[in-house]
Order: sequence, then C-alpha cells, then structure tokens
Amino acid sequence: MAGLELLSDQGYRVDGRRAGELRKIQARMGVFAQADGSAYIEQGNTKALAVVYGPHEIRGSRARALPDRALVNCQYSSATFSTGERKRRPHGDRKSCEMGLQLRQTFEAAILTQLHPRSQIDIYVLQADGGTYAACVNAATLAVLDAGIPMRDFVCACSAGFVDGTALADLSHVEEAAGGPQLALALLPASGQIALLEMDARLHEDHLERVLEAAAQAARDVHTLLDRVVRQHVREASILLGD
Amino acid sequence: MAAGFKTVEPLEYYRRFLKENCRPDGRELGEFRTTTVNIGSISTADGSALVKLGNTTVICGVKAEFAAPSTDAPDKGYVVPNVDLPPLCSSRFRSGPPGEEAQVASQFIADVIENSQIIQKEDLCISPGKLVWVLYCDLICLDYDGNILDACTFALLAALKNVQLPEVTINEETALAEVNLKKKSYLNIRTHPVATSFAVFDDTLLIVDPTGEEEHLATGTLTIVMDEEGKLCCLHKPGMFPPLQS
Repeated sequence: MAGLELLSDQGYRVDGRRAGELRKIQARMGVFAQADGSAYIEQGNTKALAVVYGPHEIRGSRARALPDRALVNCQYSSATFSTGERKRRPHGDRKSCEMGLQLRQTFEAAILTQLHPRSQIDIYVLQADGGTYAACVNAATLAVLDAGIPMRDFVCACSAGFVDGTALADLSHVEEAAGGPQLALALLPASGQIALLEMDARLHEDHLERVLEAAAQAARDVHTLLDRVVRQHVREASILLGD
Repeated sequence: MAAGFKTVEPLEYYRRFLKENCRPDGRELGEFRTTTVNIGSISTADGSALVKLGNTTVICGVKAEFAAPSTDAPDKGYVVPNVDLPPLCSSRFRSGPPGEEAQVASQFIADVIENSQIIQKEDLCISPGKLVWVLYCDLICLDYDGNILDACTFALLAALKNVQLPEVTINEETALAEVNLKKKSYLNIRTHPVATSFAVFDDTLLIVDPTGEEEHLATGTLTIVMDEEGKLCCLHKPGMFPPLQS
C-alpha cells in the first residue's frame, strides 16, 4: 500500500496516536427505558450499544433450563449502515454468530450465573470502525452493571496488533484492514485473569508476549475509565434519588 | 398502592386519568412527548438521523448504491425502506426473521415515500437506462415505547435531508461511472410528510402519541400522514371493532 505507513519513524500511527495509546472513549449507562440495563460506548469512531434483559424466565424450550445456574444468551448484530459497504445480512450471518458466541463465552466467565435462573444479553453495534469486539465487550460490561446483575469483576477488552517490531494497542479500522496480526483480549482486571483471547493472522511466538502485554495494559486503562463512568453514574442516580 | 391497582386493573387505572382529561405521565390528551433529533452522527452512512419521541428511539441510516434501472422505468431510481424491530428494543420481540409488526411498519414507510413523493425518483437517475441511485433506508428501533410509525417517518425524513450524494459522470470511452467524492450535493426533498398516531380508548376518546402501555390498552390505533400543504398522504387504520362513526 503506497504512502500509508501504519507506524511512522517518529513512532506516530495513522491517526496521530502513539503505539500504546487508546482512542478517545466516551461511555454512558442507562440510555434506554425499556431494558433492564443498557449502555452506549464510543471508542474513536466505533459506536456500540449494549442492552440487557434479565434475569427472566427461560423462553422457548424449558428443557434448556439449567438447574443450578443461569443461561446467558448473547446476540450481536451490526447495523447495515455501519460499515463502508452496506451489509446485506445484519443478523444470522457467520460473523455475527461467531461474535455472539465469543461474547457469550466471555460473559459466562464473568457473571455469577449460579445466582439466577436466566439472563439474556443483546448487543448492538451502530457503527464499526475497528475494535468491534472490544467495544461490544466494554459496552456489555456497563450494561450488565446497569442491570444490577452480579459479576465477578469488570470485563475489559482491547485489541492489539504488531507492526515493525512494535506492539500497537486499540486498532482502528485502517490498521485492521492492513492485514497484520490482530489480537483481541478480554480481561478481568482485578485478578488479571483472561476471559477470552483470540488472534488472527501469523505472529512469531517470540512477539506474542509483547503484544499480549500491550493488550493487557490497554485493557487495564479501559478499566480505569469504565470504573470512573460507573461511579459517576451511581453518583448521579443517588443525587436524583435524594440520598 | 397505585402501583398495585395499576397491575390488577390497568384499564380502570387509565380511565381514572382520562376522566380528568390527562394521562399518567402528565400529558394532555392532545400533547406529544418531548421530541429530540440528532442528525448526521453516523459517518459511515450517507445520511443518518436519530429520533427520540419520549422514550421511543429510532435511528435511520441511508446508504446510496448504484443499480441498473428496470426496463419499464429506465429513468427512475429506487428508495428501499426497511424497518427493523430487534429484540433489544423490547422484550416482546424475538430474534429471527422480521415479525409482523416490523413488516407492517416497513410497508407503511414504503407507502409514505411513494404517496407523498418526498423524492422524485427521476432525481436519482444518473444515466437513463444504464445507472441509477438506489437509497437503502434502514430504520432500526432502539427502544420501543409506542408510536413507532411517527418516529420512523420523522427519522426517515431527517435522514433523507441529511443525505449527500457525490456527483457521478459516465466516462464515454470506458462506459464506467466516475464518482467525484469532493463534489457532493443534497437531495431535493419536495414535501415534508409528518405522521401523527392516535390511540382510541373505549371507542370514543382519541389520544395522541400513545406510549407502549397506552397502545396495549387501547381498542385501536390510527395513523395519519400529512404534508406541509395540508394534503393527506397516508391513512393507516389497522382493523378495529366496532368501526368508527365518521
């Protein structure tokens, strides 16, 4: 690709960020009235919405009910106008199903499912500009907290890549499209446990440590931010309640 | 106590308010909820708008693509609306293929576009018989609290006003289209249709802009679409028993 340097000599990326720098994140909780919990997050140009309904009774076949814990159901869809080319099938295509499955696996690790019969989590992406999985997980964490469902810890996610011997944190769409290795990491920050780790493309095993560390550090930065958002929200809610 | 009464006898609870000519959220019978609109926030779409009618939230994204026109209308483009009611907007919707309500809403929006002539399809023509624009208008409901048709119509109009199409010329030698992204122009919006929905209570009372609960308790609903010249574009009265006296 002529003229597009993912990392300049001075260490600046395409959008002017440094290697380990995150995009600007803005988040809000409790955006929808119908849902039990909802959250909206903007990471750079990626906008993700997460909505939580539950815990409620099993819908459909009662046979699916687990006797000792809740069933977490995640659905991911992205708006047809969210990518450069119009997406013809917003639901039910392979990528959406895979994403839904990954989200479910991530949240089953974090939610204390033994305490409830069933929860349903629906996650919606409005505009995709790279780092879709990470934005979805961060939005879903806030939504689950807004719904009051008990979790082991925050789940913070970030993507990372590797260019010219440097690990880059929080990839934008341009950087993802360039085709280098991409790592998606979902972390439980307090214990440092990994909820989900996924990597695409080839990466030499010697570099894995560095990329993983970049993603983990970025996830911890995201945690600081989400924590601040939650505290702010609780403070506002308690002011309204007159405490 | 009021909450208990509301759960056991929702209709009676409502009638108590209607007798005083007001509604539980404090509105008059003819009053709309607070409406906010945010235009152009989605940069990947060619035009977008987010409308909030009280709690009901609808987002519309318009994407323009090339298409070959049909042989019986070689100089007409297409406007393709689609309303999506995903499970996230309300627990009454399941995931899967579009349900009845979404399909009815999609058809309603298609009728409004057709009848009110918001856009002349000839304006979407680039090269007659060869290339036309097709505008895919995707309306997604994010929060369902009644009166979805009004919100969708409003979001669609706002998004269409926000759409900027680049200039396209057909290169004579190669017969390929050349898009000039630097030169963009707005669509020519001819009319501004506005939808107003009513819910009918006890066959006599008409209330404007019903919330989700009110729609559920009403005996019927009615939607009227009019443009700024006072012309009626569309009347939607889905069933009702007994029929309304004129």
